[in-house]
Amino acid sequence: MTRALVRILFCAIAATALSLSAQQTEVVLSATSGSKLVMAVAPPKLAGVDEATATQEFTGVLQTDLDETGVFGLLKDKLPTATDPSSYKAWKEAGAQWLLVTKLTRAATGELQLEATAIDTGAEKAVFTKPYKADRLVPMRRLAHALADDLVFQLTGVRGVASSRIVFVRQLHPGVKEIFQVDRDGASLLQLTRNASLTLSPSVASDGRLAFVTYKGGAPEIWGQRVKGGAQVKLYAAPGGGMVSSPAWSPDGKRIAFVQGDRRGNTDIMVLDLATGHARRLTDGSGINTEPSWNPDGTQLAFTSDREGGPQVYLMQSDGSNLRRLTNEGTYNASPAWSPNGAMVAYVSRFEGKFDLFIYKLGEGKSYQITTGVNTSESPAWSPDERQLVFTSNRFGSMQLFTTDLSGRQVVRLSGLSNCQSPVWTRAR
Amino acid sequence: MHPSRLITIATLALVMGTVACKKPAPAPTGPTQAELDAAKNAADQEAARKAAAEEAARKAAAEEAARKAAAEEAARKAAAEAQAAAFKAAADKALVNIHFDYDKSDIKESDRAILQGIADFMKAYPSAQIEIQGNCDERGTNEYNLALGNRRASAALAYLKTLGVDEARFSTISFGKEKPLCTEAKESCWSQNRRDEFHLK
Repeated sequence: MTRALVRILFCAIAATALSLSAQQTEVVLSATSGSKLVMAVAPPKLAGVDEATATQEFTGVLQTDLDETGVFGLLKDKLPTATDPSSYKAWKEAGAQWLLVTKLTRAATGELQLEATAIDTGAEKAVFTKPYKADRLVPMRRLAHALADDLVFQLTGVRGVASSRIVFVRQLHPGVKEIFQVDRDGASLLQLTRNASLTLSPSVASDGRLAFVTYKGGAPEIWGQRVKGGAQVKLYAAPGGGMVSSPAWSPDGKRIAFVQGDRRGNTDIMVLDLATGHARRLTDGSGINTEPSWNPDGTQLAFTSDREGGPQVYLMQSDGSNLRRLTNEGTYNASPAWSPNGAMVAYVSRFEGKFDLFIYKLGEGKSYQITTGVNTSESPAWSPDERQLVFTSNRFGSMQLFTTDLSGRQVVRLSGLSNCQSPVWTRAR
Repeated sequence: MHPSRLITIATLALVMGTVACKKPAPAPTGPTQAELDAAKNAADQEAARKAAAEEAARKAAAEEAARKAAAEEAARKAAAEAQAAAFKAAADKALVNIHFDYDKSDIKESDRAILQGIADFMKAYPSAQIEIQGNCDERGTNEYNLALGNRRASAALAYLKTLGVDEARFSTISFGKEKPLCTEAKESCWSQNRRDEFHLK
């Protein structure tokens, strides 16, 4: 990542309430020769944990997490062996700005304890110290994720996303698609629906409640969880079994924006009030209107419409007023995703038969291309920290899940699962 | 009870009363006990014969009725099967996919005959109901294609309406690009996937 892009990133962060830590971060980065803070991870001190397990389930996981944050660079070669204060100078000379020292202890009860300290080798003092505890059922890798997220917070003022998850659709057989969840690093795959039918368009509320479309009753219906951790129940079906798609939880979790089709071929953006069951139409019944995406305070929606010809991205207030077109270049712009802090809208644009990811910066009124390639990149969704996008691409054949930073240079395949679509990224599950 | 039977019983009672008085047995003037038993047996046998004959007649009539009903049922069934086969043959012949250009939902001139055939089928079978399923190729977003599939199903519905079929007999559903017939990334495959399917409900 270039320094310019890092600056753009932190400018976006500075626009939030976290401006103080963002400014501090910029000072830290400006003082370094590169754009990333160079960190060395000392081998953990172990008690009741064997070295092979610790390497595989903790150190390896932590290093991957830190590598993929985009804000830490990992020092891996010619590391000093000692970690006592007299060794800090040696770590600094080896190139490490921060030295991470950890101790993992497995108690007789099975409880796992982690003590972590990050030392600024220049100032020769601790910049971060935190103890962690996990009962015996929690995988060791969860502790690594939690530590990585805290270290990112320490550096940038925004928690990292190592502990977050991706919820997505995967085809099991032709005509049968179900919703799955996987950790951000591709581990812990979990099937969330068992409808044995087409099940599409997952949306996750800020408290983790799931909503989706399923064809299990024949006609498509919106199903999901009315209460956190509750059963999946029918939330909405169109009168007469008409078409519904694209549910999207409002940020307050009380409403669901969705799409309803009529028998004249139009599709409109609607909003369902979950308490009353009342659904209200926001668009005007002409042409295709789909893919609603809320802004973070729930006052506006981005969506795709072909009202002026081909698909383009539009914005409107959440009561349907103040409609305006966002995208102007290209003949097919779609899949808008409003960023968590509200300053950007990611979308896809078609060029020569394939899609690439773009970001529209609302403050600048300009678009930036993120991915380029001979293959297609679709369905962007924001990471909770707004640093990355998850998307689907066929660059290795079948449609798989990938993440990219906002420069488009750090594209990582999230998992080897094939036939994936419609990912969303959440901290809540 | 038959009157002759009553007389027999009355006579019997009289004889028994006489016996009960223990008077010296007079010379036999009425029927003997054996004769009475024989008469009773004969009467009983006659009744049984009659009942058996009636039962046989009843049975024969029932069997005849069942035979007739079975024949009628078989004929009905054969007719229904023939009708169902004719319906299915007509449906198979009429319910053919129509196709669309990329990102379009206009009914192609070459597909008008297919839709006329579907309209004729609906008129020939007034109880038939059909689901129109709109589908798309893999290009474009999942959600936009669900909307496009809805538009394609609606386009066929609108055309069928102009051919004089009650639109209440059709339902529409969109599968977008979720149910492709063909999964290769080339136009010959995409063109098969951009379709409306017509299914009996």
